Amino acid sequence: MRASTRNILMIGPAAVMVLALFLYPLGFSIVSAVTHDDYSLTLTHFIKVFELYSKDIQFTVLIVLSSVLILALLSIAISAMIVLSPFKRLVAILSMLYRLPLFIPFIVAAQMMRTFLAKNGLMNNTIVAAGLLTPMDTVSFLGWTGIIITFVWKQLAFTTLLISGAMAALDQSQIRAAQNLGASRLRILIQIMIPQVLPTIGVALVLSTVTIMSVLSVPLMIGTGSPTMITADMAFRVNSYGDYHVANALGMISYLICAALAWFYLRQTIKEKGAMS
Amino acid sequence: MAHLSIQQLQVSYGDKTVLHNIDLNIQQGEMVALLGPSGCGKTTLLNALCGFVPVGSGSIFMAGKDITNQPPEQRNITMVFQSYALWPHMTVAQNIAYGLKVRRVPKTEIAERIKEMLEIVKLSGLENEKVTQLSGGQRQRVALARALVVKPDILVLDEPLSNLDAKVRLSVRHEIKALQQRLGFTSVIVTHDQEEALVMADRVAVLNNGHIEQIGTPEEIYQSPKTPFVADFMGADNRFVYAPKITGKAFRLYLPKTSLELHHLIYFRSSAASICKDLDNRNLDGLTLTGTVEQSAFLGQNYRHNVRHGEQLIQADSPDCWPLDSEVSVHVPPHALYVYPHMARSA
Repeated sequence: MRASTRNILMIGPAAVMVLALFLYPLGFSIVSAVTHDDYSLTLTHFIKVFELYSKDIQFTVLIVLSSVLILALLSIAISAMIVLSPFKRLVAILSMLYRLPLFIPFIVAAQMMRTFLAKNGLMNNTIVAAGLLTPMDTVSFLGWTGIIITFVWKQLAFTTLLISGAMAALDQSQIRAAQNLGASRLRILIQIMIPQVLPTIGVALVLSTVTIMSVLSVPLMIGTGSPTMITADMAFRVNSYGDYHVANALGMISYLICAALAWFYLRQTIKEKGAMS
Repeated sequence: MAHLSIQQLQVSYGDKTVLHNIDLNIQQGEMVALLGPSGCGKTTLLNALCGFVPVGSGSIFMAGKDITNQPPEQRNITMVFQSYALWPHMTVAQNIAYGLKVRRVPKTEIAERIKEMLEIVKLSGLENEKVTQLSGGQRQRVALARALVVKPDILVLDEPLSNLDAKVRLSVRHEIKALQQRLGFTSVIVTHDQEEALVMADRVAVLNNGHIEQIGTPEEIYQSPKTPFVADFMGADNRFVYAPKITGKAFRLYLPKTSLELHHLIYFRSSAASICKDLDNRNLDGLTLTGTVEQSAFLGQNYRHNVRHGEQLIQADSPDCWPLDSEVSVHVPPHALYVYPHMARSA
């Protein structure tokens, strides 16, 4: 058997899997988004998307960006505490606690948040019981704030896992070198550690974006209906109208948003690498 | 008064005590080497000095001020790390400037001091290079400049030469020593290489199992080791157990100042021994023994022979290569013998 034939046979099964399970559905969606039932090309589905759902697209982008921003701040803060704190026992507790959301599915997290954030939910009841607010003054956090809180709560474990791992992998003596030159912990975090773990922060945030864009349960269970996120609209198009064309066009939009963020991230890292070498 | 004074210092990791009651005084402008095998606690002592590990008991005084419980960023002690620990995302100049920026030194002065420092460590013109593009020796010098530019009370060097190849190591060793003599900074250097310690330091402290075995000038440590460990570590690795009854034709020991009624441990360097055909009818001071050559190896300047004497195997150097299985006499003069009472047997 010739070497090239053998190579093709070796990658064959994997390539077939990728083609069948990923590329074919993707291609099918794209075709469906830009054609009528008789496969004639059209942009009517996209026009419909922008007429009906441009508010929801903006809403989705805002939710994703604010979630990712808050995620970045919180996970960097927690990672820094884990890596730099001199209180080892506290760190052990913290590093166990922050991982818990990893093992909880989005739908369970959303259900928990519903009972926690509602007007007469667990959070407000606790505040009222503590005498801080009267039942009249409480507000429901269900809605866009609730969606962001849930996404951040759920994804925080993942981003912190990645970022604290990257921080812990830094050469400990680099941190000590800064320390004995007189730098405070905050200074070390900002000037020594973050610049070196930026690529990891980027990966964690891009992956979180993609995850957040694809979750249906959270906007359905915690959102107030309108505006809502793209996933909820797609589900609505399919379930209520059997309208796969517009649903696929919406899917294309969210795909493009992810692609834009990924492109932005890749461009940044390539720029940095270029500067390095 | 000593510039740095370490008193009864004890450090533990969990239940394990790594340093026992360390006493060490270092004068202004002095370079002291901490020498010992790996795991003897020398790096832990450095880390305790810098404030990276908590001290169990005892105290550290710097210029009369107690710094035992000060955090690392408040002590004016800087370290040159084994891995250099340069920050890869910064240029040479940014690395060196960091300590000055932290101390809020004005920008113009920072620029001046970087320029001056780069000249001292012979890296002028490289200020805007990324540190990842430098060679090992150059990185080492950046690390040195970064630590020295803030004018530390003490410069601490943790095995600074171990990552360099042999030739660069010799030149950097010389450079650090020259720099220390020129700028007069006080420093502590950790090493496991006895030659490095002897060449660079004004005084050497030999550590073993968390104790200081001996502290003294390089000559004292090399020529009169106080304990068997120091003798062995400083290259006198021929070890001989002497029992009063063994003297005879094949083994003779004459030591002018030592009573030979007790058991002794005897150490000597291979280079101090000489090999002859027959010494039977000469009564020389020192150690004389006969044995069979079992192996010889060419070392460059001379040959090292393994000589079997009963159960003991000793090594002796000779300019000539003696044939295998030949019967030879080995002689070591008294001043090259390090003799210690052998506790286990005498008691």
